[in-house]
Amino acid sequence: MTTEKDQISGKPAGPVGSAPAGTPAPGGRPSEAAQGMAVVARSQGQLVRRRFLRHRAAMASIAVLFIVVVLAFSSIGFLGIPGWWKYSYDAAGTVVNRGAPTLSVVPTWLGGNGFSIGEHPFGQDDLGRDYFALTMRGTQISLLIALVVGVVSTVVGTVIGALSGYYRGMVETVLMRFTDVIITIPVLVIAAVLGQKYGNGGPFVLALVVAAVTWTSLARLVRGEFLSQREKEFVEAARALGAKPRRIIFRHILPNTVGVITVAATLSVATAILLETALSYLGFGVRAPDTSLGLLVSTYQNAFTTRPWLFWWPGLFIVAIALCVNFIGDGLRDAFDPRQNRVRA
Amino acid sequence: MSTPPTQPPSDWNAETAGDQGTLYGHDGPTPTVLERDPEPSVGVHVGHLTAGSAGSAEVLSVEGLTVSFPTEDGLVQAVRGVSYTLHEREVLGIVGESGSGKSVSSMAVMGLLPRSARVSGTIRYRGQDVLGMSRKQQRALRGRKIAMIFQDPMTAMNPVYTVGFQLAEAVLSHELMPRKAAMARAEEMLALVGIPQPKARLDSYPHEFSGGMRQRAMIAMAVINNPDVIIADEPTTALDVTVQAQILEKLIEVKDAVNAAIVLITHDLGVVAGMAHRTLVMYAGRPVEVGGTDDVFYRPRMPYTAGLLGSIPSAGDTGRLRPIGGAPPSLIALPTGCPFSPRCPLVTDVCRQTEPPLAPTDAADHLAACHHWDRLAAADDPTAFFRPELTGLASGAGEIR
Amino acid sequence: MATFILRRLVVSFFVLLAATFVVYVLVANAGDPRTALLESTDPSRDAKIAALTENLDLDTPVVPRYFGWLGGVAQCFVGQCDLGTNINGAPVTGLLSVALGSTLRLVLFATVMAILFGVIVGIVTALRQYSGLDYSTTFLAFLFFSLPAFWIAVLLKQFLAIKFNSWLSDPVIPLWLTIVLAALGGLLAMALIGGDRRQRMISLVGGAAVVAAVCVYLDVSKWFAQPGIGPVVMIVGSLAAAVGATALLSGFRYRRVLIATLITAVVGIICSFSLGWLLDISTAGTIIILAIVTLAVSGAIGALVGGVLRSQAVKACMITGFLSGALIFADRLLQAVTGYSDKVRGILIATIGSNTPNFSGDFWETTLDQLGHLLLPSIVIVLISFATYTRYTRSSMLETMNQDYVRTARAKGLTERTVVVRHAFRNAMIPVTTLMAIDFGAVIGGAVITETVFGWQGMGRLFTDALRIPDPNPVMGFFLVTGTAVVVFNMIVDILYGVLDPRIRTA
Repeated sequence: MTTEKDQISGKPAGPVGSAPAGTPAPGGRPSEAAQGMAVVARSQGQLVRRRFLRHRAAMASIAVLFIVVVLAFSSIGFLGIPGWWKYSYDAAGTVVNRGAPTLSVVPTWLGGNGFSIGEHPFGQDDLGRDYFALTMRGTQISLLIALVVGVVSTVVGTVIGALSGYYRGMVETVLMRFTDVIITIPVLVIAAVLGQKYGNGGPFVLALVVAAVTWTSLARLVRGEFLSQREKEFVEAARALGAKPRRIIFRHILPNTVGVITVAATLSVATAILLETALSYLGFGVRAPDTSLGLLVSTYQNAFTTRPWLFWWPGLFIVAIALCVNFIGDGLRDAFDPRQNRVRA
Repeated sequence: MSTPPTQPPSDWNAETAGDQGTLYGHDGPTPTVLERDPEPSVGVHVGHLTAGSAGSAEVLSVEGLTVSFPTEDGLVQAVRGVSYTLHEREVLGIVGESGSGKSVSSMAVMGLLPRSARVSGTIRYRGQDVLGMSRKQQRALRGRKIAMIFQDPMTAMNPVYTVGFQLAEAVLSHELMPRKAAMARAEEMLALVGIPQPKARLDSYPHEFSGGMRQRAMIAMAVINNPDVIIADEPTTALDVTVQAQILEKLIEVKDAVNAAIVLITHDLGVVAGMAHRTLVMYAGRPVEVGGTDDVFYRPRMPYTAGLLGSIPSAGDTGRLRPIGGAPPSLIALPTGCPFSPRCPLVTDVCRQTEPPLAPTDAADHLAACHHWDRLAAADDPTAFFRPELTGLASGAGEIR
Repeated sequence: MATFILRRLVVSFFVLLAATFVVYVLVANAGDPRTALLESTDPSRDAKIAALTENLDLDTPVVPRYFGWLGGVAQCFVGQCDLGTNINGAPVTGLLSVALGSTLRLVLFATVMAILFGVIVGIVTALRQYSGLDYSTTFLAFLFFSLPAFWIAVLLKQFLAIKFNSWLSDPVIPLWLTIVLAALGGLLAMALIGGDRRQRMISLVGGAAVVAAVCVYLDVSKWFAQPGIGPVVMIVGSLAAAVGATALLSGFRYRRVLIATLITAVVGIICSFSLGWLLDISTAGTIIILAIVTLAVSGAIGALVGGVLRSQAVKACMITGFLSGALIFADRLLQAVTGYSDKVRGILIATIGSNTPNFSGDFWETTLDQLGHLLLPSIVIVLISFATYTRYTRSSMLETMNQDYVRTARAKGLTERTVVVRHAFRNAMIPVTTLMAIDFGAVIGGAVITETVFGWQGMGRLFTDALRIPDPNPVMGFFLVTGTAVVVFNMIVDILYGVLDPRIRTA
């Protein structure tokens, strides 16, 4: 039964690097997918894109994430470029009405005050700083760290995984034992130890610290993919044609593992967001006077009963960002590997 | 289960001796020992390996079976009106390309289609309507009266249980008996399918078996409850060519031992030619030709069958392969008229407008779905239509890939 | 298999050794333990600094210092552990032994719960793919996965502990809550049972009615003021356990299994009424003995009555025995709640610490005390791990349900229950075991955070406090224990892997 269903879903048949999509995969049984079941020949990229665009949760998450990013970077400005919001995150002011938020979203016909932003939509902290500006600053830092972590850990993990998976032998032993050593140390522990020393070096250094401990799972994943791909016929064919290892790795194997890597990279961004906030919460991450979402929650957790908004806003932003990234990752996984989404009944 | 016969039926032995070649008939470029018959120039020598004679009582009848799957791209019409009957001890070959609906139709018979499948038509086992049965009744039939052998023995057995356990399980799910008795039965079956040291092998795991051994074990599993019908879905496709013949031989032997009928699904014409009493050819979810195996192979009345027969390479050939040009149609957007018309060398306007029904041809029990079966009947060599260089017939889409 | 494990053990040992070196060097570079002293104005400052330098061997370069530390660790093999001292001169071994107990309790409890719930929910959602239940659990799993532990911990403290504790002083179930719970119960029943439209409506109404009835009963009988299971629920529960275990393991086609489990349940019920006094004088030890006796007796009943399906009967009876035993245990525990509640002034669900300071009570009360403290931190850890387990189990289960051998199992005419439990589940668990190994490290990380939030005097607290100074030896002690735990856990997983997958065993 599986074969029939594979055809229906248009499961990408055959490797990307060697065979143009839509033609039979080399070797093995004649590819059923290519033998006439395809309605319109679509390239694998098109199939992936189409499936991703159909993933409603992922699409909604992209929209939300986009809004959060634009809000965070345009409101209070970034790198000296001024934003449109009137307050700065580090300017103290007079505390108005115990610093309660002025944001109102309940429409008048429901007994609310209609939609209005007010002076301090997210309220003020105990120093009278505008909490919207603070939250936006925290979001900026957390997003930046997550992005850097995502890029750096993906590159490091891919390179280490690819090298050990392709070359095997000594290279593999050394690299994988090294990975094992890092994996044995719980991520939070090693990140905290590093963060204690380097955390006050600014967000970028902290991002490198987090990246230094989060590449391990990706390295293992990529190694596994390489181990299975390097035995495939198209790699042997390339090798027989005299292709150099670098060409085989980058032109033949890597394009076939791109799905796995993309998904893992996305999820590593989500991990990074949570890890950074946890580190900052414990005091080993971003330090005052700069701020991050985790640091804000940590600072104001005891204010929960008296001034709950100080606790809710940064927390909600963490959850929103992490949730969006996770859903995007899920959408990508479904798009690249539709095996479990065959027939929607 | 009576004592398993140690000797296969005599006609089997006599005929196979000089005729093993037919079993190797392969549609790949592998050099085969097929002999090109001078008389009717069809690429397959029909060997008479079929053992035992078919009875007259119907065990299985399928009428107007259609199966479709809803998908993102639209409704896939995998099977569009399949009808056939299977008599006691008969071997019915179902031939077709991948995606022609041959596997899906047999899955429907077994009740193994995914829930999303839409099935209509009737399936009768000894007169009882299978589709109308309760799930419990269907389950009682599965593996007990209708058993199945799958294509890939490597993945068809659960890797975490011993072979003996998996065989005994088939017995225990239909009969209440002590596990020991079921194991003894399993051992008996392993012996029947020719696995050496069956007692020790009961405790082996599937990964400790070779491919051929596993397929033997699958055959043992299929016949362990003395079924009336065995559906063999490409039983030799995943196997080494040298093992294929042995497995088919064993399948026939075992079938006779338990008096079962076989539905043999394959894309290997040589296998059908050697084993089946009757043959059904499927294309785009429909049967396009049904008849006695000799009739279908020597006197094809549907161009698709002729094309298939003509595409089989033989040892004497030195030229290129002669595949049928083009590709089978999408099952989501079928062309109007005959689904084979875009690839057919005999195509006329009527073919493109109306789909021909499956109707009797020159013999009453030889049915074909073709407007122009008479032209095939008139031709000396029906396969020649697919060779423009011989006939001068320019085929529409008949380009050689 | 043995060589395989042995080889893994040796490799793991060296990996752990290398990891300790990495951590040691990193901690040594993280800062100077003398920083606080250097900035102080204490008159005896210089003497203190000298003492500390002497004590922590700070004048020695890092690498020889590491080997000195390692030498102390090596003495563990002869039962004389020396993990150094903290900056105040207290031996780390002593600090660890205090912290270890509470952390181990938390980590193991949370891991077991996460695996249990995650795997069960994962399987159910896989079997009901694309149902409302599947979509909602998928969403919840993603939500849990995206929650920062420290943030949800604060929310739980507020809404689950403080609000619940104060509600308990006047336990009235408001009407709206009854309606909400009934609706949820109905939806859950509908999603779980499935079937056609009519069947689903019946499940919806039936589920809602049962939940509503329970709520009203609990409210009217003032159950929360005087909790307990009561004889009726005990009898019904035990019999239901018997029927359930039979349904899961053998089905009802062969009566003797059902008879065996029912006998087990009846024996359990009789024991619960006649041997109640035994529980009053119980300790942890006697409970374990009782549990073993229960399992042995149940197994014997299964073996005697089971007939042809003896092995299934034994398993089903042991499950039944275990479940009715658990019911009896829970009943007795709940009966102790009132007394316990008075002793701790109504704080049933604690928000701070791993036990009530200076608390004394009998076995049941101390158990309640520990459970009450364990609840919130465990929920925090479970929420995060649960999401991973559910998603992983679900996809693994979907993968196996599409395997050829599952189709073969169906073609044999096995019941859907056998196909799922025996063929799909067993294989789906193989990749999930690897997740257990990976997840364990995450749980320890989670424990560091939750211990900070909930003020537990555990390993995590020891670690964060020491790291802030930074005080190298407690940090190393922490890592030594957690690293060893990770390695041991990996080992267990490897063995489990071999048990589940015969292909590994022979390799």
